[in-house]
Amino acid sequence: MSNENSMSDDNNTKKVHGTVAEYESVDALLEACRRIRDAGFTKTDAFTPFPVHGIDTALGIKPTKLPWIALAGGATGLTIALLMQIWMNGIDYQYIISGKPYISLPAFMPVAFELTILLASFGAFFGMWALNGLPKFSNPIFTDPRFDRATDDRFFLYIDAKDDSYDQAGAEKLLADTGTEYINTVVEDDSPTQIPKFLITTLVTVIALSFIPALILARMRVTTSSQPRFHIFPDMDFSPARDAQQTTTLFADNRAMRPDVPGTIARGEMEEDLDYLTGIKMESLALQQVNKDRQLVALYPQDEKASSDTAAEQADAPEKSVMDTTPWVETNPVEITADFVKQGQAQFNIYCSTCHGRDGRGNGLVHQRAQQIMASSWIPPASMHQETLYADQYPDGKLFSTISNGIRKMPGYAGQIKVRDRWAIVAYVRALQQSQNASLNMVPESEQETIRTRKAEVERMLAEQAEAEKKKEEERAKQAEQAQ
Amino acid sequence: MSLAIPNGLDNTEERPGQRAPLVLGDTTYHDITETVCRVAERPPGAGWFAGFLVAFALLNLLGVCIAYLIYTGVGVWGNAAPVFWGWPIVNFVFWVGIGHAGTLISAILFLFRQEWRTSINRAAEAMTIFAVACAGTFPGIHVGRAWLAFWLAPYPSLNLWMWPQFRSPLLWDVFAVSTYGTVSLLFWYMGMVPDLATFRDRSKNKWRRMAYGILALGWSGSSRHWMRYEKAYALLAAFAAPLVLSVHTIVSFDFAVSQVPGWHTTIFPPYFVAGAIFSGFAMVLTLMVPARSMLGLEKLITIRHLENMCKIILATGSIVGLAYGTEFFIAWYGQVPEEQFAFLNRALGPYWWAYLTMVSCNVLSPQLFWFKKFRTTPILIVIVCVFVNIGMWFERFVIVVTSLSRDYLPSAWSYFTPTWVDWAMLIGSFGLFFTLFLLFCKLMPVINMAETKATLAKQYHMAHEHE
Repeated sequence: MSNENSMSDDNNTKKVHGTVAEYESVDALLEACRRIRDAGFTKTDAFTPFPVHGIDTALGIKPTKLPWIALAGGATGLTIALLMQIWMNGIDYQYIISGKPYISLPAFMPVAFELTILLASFGAFFGMWALNGLPKFSNPIFTDPRFDRATDDRFFLYIDAKDDSYDQAGAEKLLADTGTEYINTVVEDDSPTQIPKFLITTLVTVIALSFIPALILARMRVTTSSQPRFHIFPDMDFSPARDAQQTTTLFADNRAMRPDVPGTIARGEMEEDLDYLTGIKMESLALQQVNKDRQLVALYPQDEKASSDTAAEQADAPEKSVMDTTPWVETNPVEITADFVKQGQAQFNIYCSTCHGRDGRGNGLVHQRAQQIMASSWIPPASMHQETLYADQYPDGKLFSTISNGIRKMPGYAGQIKVRDRWAIVAYVRALQQSQNASLNMVPESEQETIRTRKAEVERMLAEQAEAEKKKEEERAKQAEQAQ
Repeated sequence: MSLAIPNGLDNTEERPGQRAPLVLGDTTYHDITETVCRVAERPPGAGWFAGFLVAFALLNLLGVCIAYLIYTGVGVWGNAAPVFWGWPIVNFVFWVGIGHAGTLISAILFLFRQEWRTSINRAAEAMTIFAVACAGTFPGIHVGRAWLAFWLAPYPSLNLWMWPQFRSPLLWDVFAVSTYGTVSLLFWYMGMVPDLATFRDRSKNKWRRMAYGILALGWSGSSRHWMRYEKAYALLAAFAAPLVLSVHTIVSFDFAVSQVPGWHTTIFPPYFVAGAIFSGFAMVLTLMVPARSMLGLEKLITIRHLENMCKIILATGSIVGLAYGTEFFIAWYGQVPEEQFAFLNRALGPYWWAYLTMVSCNVLSPQLFWFKKFRTTPILIVIVCVFVNIGMWFERFVIVVTSLSRDYLPSAWSYFTPTWVDWAMLIGSFGLFFTLFLLFCKLMPVINMAETKATLAKQYHMAHEHE
């Protein structure tokens, strides 16, 4: 008890918090606990390096209410999770998932379970520290010089001065009887309680410095400058996506607009039968069996080389090309109406007339220009008004296929013109062909009179024009004579 | 204070009517303090520095790769149609699985009153946290725009004007893994506070004392505190036990809720959980066996501890083997052609080598633990466990890659090839893991001193009863 004497001077001046005694074994501690409990002390505590079982009864410690805090935490978690999910997905922003109800509890269970566990754990964890009054860095009992061993291998018993039955001498006397070798009075801890200033300074400085990079970036993003503005992720800000007519480095052919993949049909276009889509009678084609695959390949000539290769392979029957042997659809599968033909006329004028001319004689503007510049590789567009292109020699399906897949210099228009519109063009071409060989009695009688009148008008107009031309010529000739 | 086996280090013999001692030698409470504190108090040795340098270099490799990935985009990975879940997800599931052993040891073995957990739970929990940190990295960067990963959280966004989709397993996953990480961290830290107080009280250096003092929150060892503390510990254990099972269940939902053949199976949750425990214990042993001899902890982490863990590996490894077999049976029995194809393709398709590695490492190698020699020889334990770790990584690879590379649309089939970034990130994640673990060994109490002392107290008590 030498320590006690040496510290007695201090004890006189400092506030006394209680008395502490040290024990070497669990059994000695438990025995001492029972003794002071029976002596009527209630504001007592034991300090041990590990939880000692049975000490709660030995000291008279009441059970903790911690489980209730955990329960409250769990219930809060469950409620928050369910309300959150019902509000977010069931009411405020409804997702349709597999036709399930918006409020589908089974799907909300996992998150509800996790949040229940999370908040119950928070309740147990933070509740425990709160009930224990921790963190508390300044504790008078830490002033005891031997108390460091409470977390190593020694057991301490403590009687608080606030206890009604406490008096310093009495407590010491009681504890001395319990087989302890060390008793000490716990006094006020007079070491400074403030957080050291330099710690705060360091902390504030570090936090302040950590903002600098973000601030520099923010400044670069918002202030004006003569240089282009800084981009943190340039490839995210400037997407390599291109518009249809632009070039790109992403593909070998540098085209931004991608051609159809050979042999594919776009989504939604398979609703119609293949005869309608290709202009070929598929059943008959299947019956032919001969070189079926080769025919199918040849139907979609990707480039001239491929088709010429195919042709070379068929050298044993040169006079009969695939185009001749294919069982084409004979007549337009769409019902011909005036509207349908008009639709075909519109499409023809947009897509075909540039080469074939509005009258279909093959004298379109592109052809005229090609002749003007004497383009050497130019193949003149076919006139629609030759017998080989009439319906008996060139079935509707074949015409449709030519529009779709192209021929000679002409590219396929499958990518630009819809299937139905291509059939409409076929119908219009037939009408165009007939218009050049039509007799008046092919027109309904009610219309014949109109056409006669109109024809007379046109003839008169043409005669007048011819007259006017003639006069101009004569005048020009006169002027030339006078000039001479 | 004599114990059943005074100085021998073999406590694997079963003695009828007697519990085998878990703390060996003439160990006292103070010896435990000394043994554990010495690890952190003496200056780190050359071996530690060498290990740390390697691990830290790999961690930097990971950091550089992540920076490169964020700056360039996810195209630097081998993820490409149709395998959009490549190595990042393989690594995620692998690490989350490893992170299961720690909480299992702490929580489930605690609830079952398996006292041999006391000297291994701390390191196992630390390993859990570090493994979850590694795991969390991968989905975080896998979202593509990693700086927008906070969009996963349900917050009232002024940019999006929408809420997360709570019926997606991917969102459940966010909640499960973050809850698991948080609760594991609380559990680990709470378990450490009394030991941090020991560190604080032994510190001679003022700064060290201050740092540990702050971490110890003013813990005094008061019995009133201990009582609430133990209650909180039991509560957390009770919460963490179902949580452990739920996490890998939900991770398996990421696969099982989808329609991909080979993923869409109800066996996934139990199969994933067994696999997670399996891989976690293997990783614990891989680390613990060398650490135990390097840090001089043989008397606290005894051969019996190792043997018990080997038995768990044997049991879970066999469950995993059974699951592999069941998958094939159900694929045959279910008579769904796509499913049948998926499993035949898994075993015999282009990734047969991965499947073979998986089965031989996961099913065959742990069978060696039927022999006591293998369960009690540290070097053999480590060798088997390394094989198990490799096998479990391949299991996730097989599940993720084989199913995606050949699903319903044959025209989209393709073979997955990892890039150097994939490799570097996998290796780098081990750098993160080992850096954290080595720092932990040097800075924190590697063994739960308070609990080990309580076990020793019980052992004293029994020894006295037998006298």
